[in-house]
Amino acid sequence: MSIQLVVFALDDEEYGIDVSAVNGILRSKKFKIQALPGTGRGVEGMINLRGKVNYIFNLRSKFNLVEKEISEESKFIMLNANGSTTGCIVDEVTDIVKLNDDEVQPAPDFINHGSKNCITGIGKIDDRMIIILDPEKIFIEEAMGGNCGL
Amino acid sequence: MAQYQNINMNTIGNGLDLSSVKLADVIDIAFLQQFQDDFAKGVGLASVTVDPEGTPVTDPSSYIRFCRDYTHSTECGDNRCAESHRKGGEEAARTGKPVVYECHAGLIDFAAPIMLEGRQIGTILGGQVLTAPPDEEKYRRIAKEIGVDPEEYVKASKEAAILTKERIEAAANVLYIVANSMSKSAYQQLKLKSMADTLNDSLHQVSATMEELAASATDISGNQASLNNEIKNVNEVTGKIDQVMDFIKDIADETRLLGLNAAIEAARAGEAGLGFGVVAQEIRKLSADSKETVGKIKDLTTIIKVSVDKTVHMGGETTSATEQQAAAIEEVTASVQEITSLIEQLNDIANDK
Repeated sequence: MSIQLVVFALDDEEYGIDVSAVNGILRSKKFKIQALPGTGRGVEGMINLRGKVNYIFNLRSKFNLVEKEISEESKFIMLNANGSTTGCIVDEVTDIVKLNDDEVQPAPDFINHGSKNCITGIGKIDDRMIIILDPEKIFIEEAMGGNCGL
Repeated sequence: MAQYQNINMNTIGNGLDLSSVKLADVIDIAFLQQFQDDFAKGVGLASVTVDPEGTPVTDPSSYIRFCRDYTHSTECGDNRCAESHRKGGEEAARTGKPVVYECHAGLIDFAAPIMLEGRQIGTILGGQVLTAPPDEEKYRRIAKEIGVDPEEYVKASKEAAILTKERIEAAANVLYIVANSMSKSAYQQLKLKSMADTLNDSLHQVSATMEELAASATDISGNQASLNNEIKNVNEVTGKIDQVMDFIKDIADETRLLGLNAAIEAARAGEAGLGFGVVAQEIRKLSADSKETVGKIKDLTTIIKVSVDKTVHMGGETTSATEQQAAAIEEVTASVQEITSLIEQLNDIANDK
């Protein structure tokens, strides 16, 4: 068995999401994000994608990373999760890789507890380590005010 | 600029060739004649001025009959007079001072050299007097030697004025001093005029060169201005290239995204999407290459911009240097004008206006 990951970058770290959950990638500079009042810092706002409202999350607050302006290269990764299409802002989509099972190391127990955790494992390509995220959980946790256990 | 080389520096202040200066160049002969005549009448001494070859340049003043009508009347007497004058003149030239001597016919004569910078340009000869009453025998003998009537000669000799040697010397000295200071001051004046002329010529050349300089400074200014404009054009074009590059980069980004999305679709399609996945990967690679090339071109345009900025800066410096140059040229031109007017005054003085 193998999985294919869409690899993206946030600061210097690489993250991966199973390609089957990815609806598509958008260039953030092509869209205007409209803020949603009363939501946490994790919710950047909403965009109008071909006539449909899609919500955009900012993983930086969720991952306790330093806040950063949306740049020229920033992308939205649109995910099919929880029955809807939701996006998250990433610095750049760097790659699409195919990993065999032996190249994926499941997340250890000490972080893999409860339903809060969104890390499913670590993908290894040579020296690179890719944090594989669970698309179902990265948004749910935000909605409940959690921080993904990172 | 080449005109400078044409100025022979040796002629400056030295435009007069001393060896060719004639008595008539430095002394107004008419004035000398008048002075000589009046002096001869006043003092009772005959005189004549000759050039270094012994040729008279003035008419004889107050020659006595003894000389005019008798001694000079025969060829022998005339030659003896010339020889006597020559000797007197030579002696005067040798000493550079007036000499008083007895002539071949027994009269007392003097020779006063007219010197210029150590060179003799003429001699004032004079005398035809005696210091004591004539010894008749002596004049009869001389009359026979030169072939004139002895009795008439003796008679004429008695017409010669009798003066003391001191008076003769003093008279010779007066003529000597006056003639020499006249020639000296006239010569200085000639020298002054020559220098003023040389200066004037040089300054004309300086003026002309300054005009050329000013003209070329203007040319440089103009060229620099055009250059600056052209360079600005280059800057604008570079800016446009950058805009085009931004556009290409945008297309590359868009292409890459298409590639990514295509790859995602292909992955979701499973086995059926494999071939498409390869194409998607190629697209991503191509877009990455395009983006890299855009980066390289942008690096190049950045280098162009830096160069252009430097060139513009240097152009600005050139412009200000040229302006300073133009100002300096103006100052020099003004100074040259001042000097020119001074030289005109100098020339007026030299020309005795």
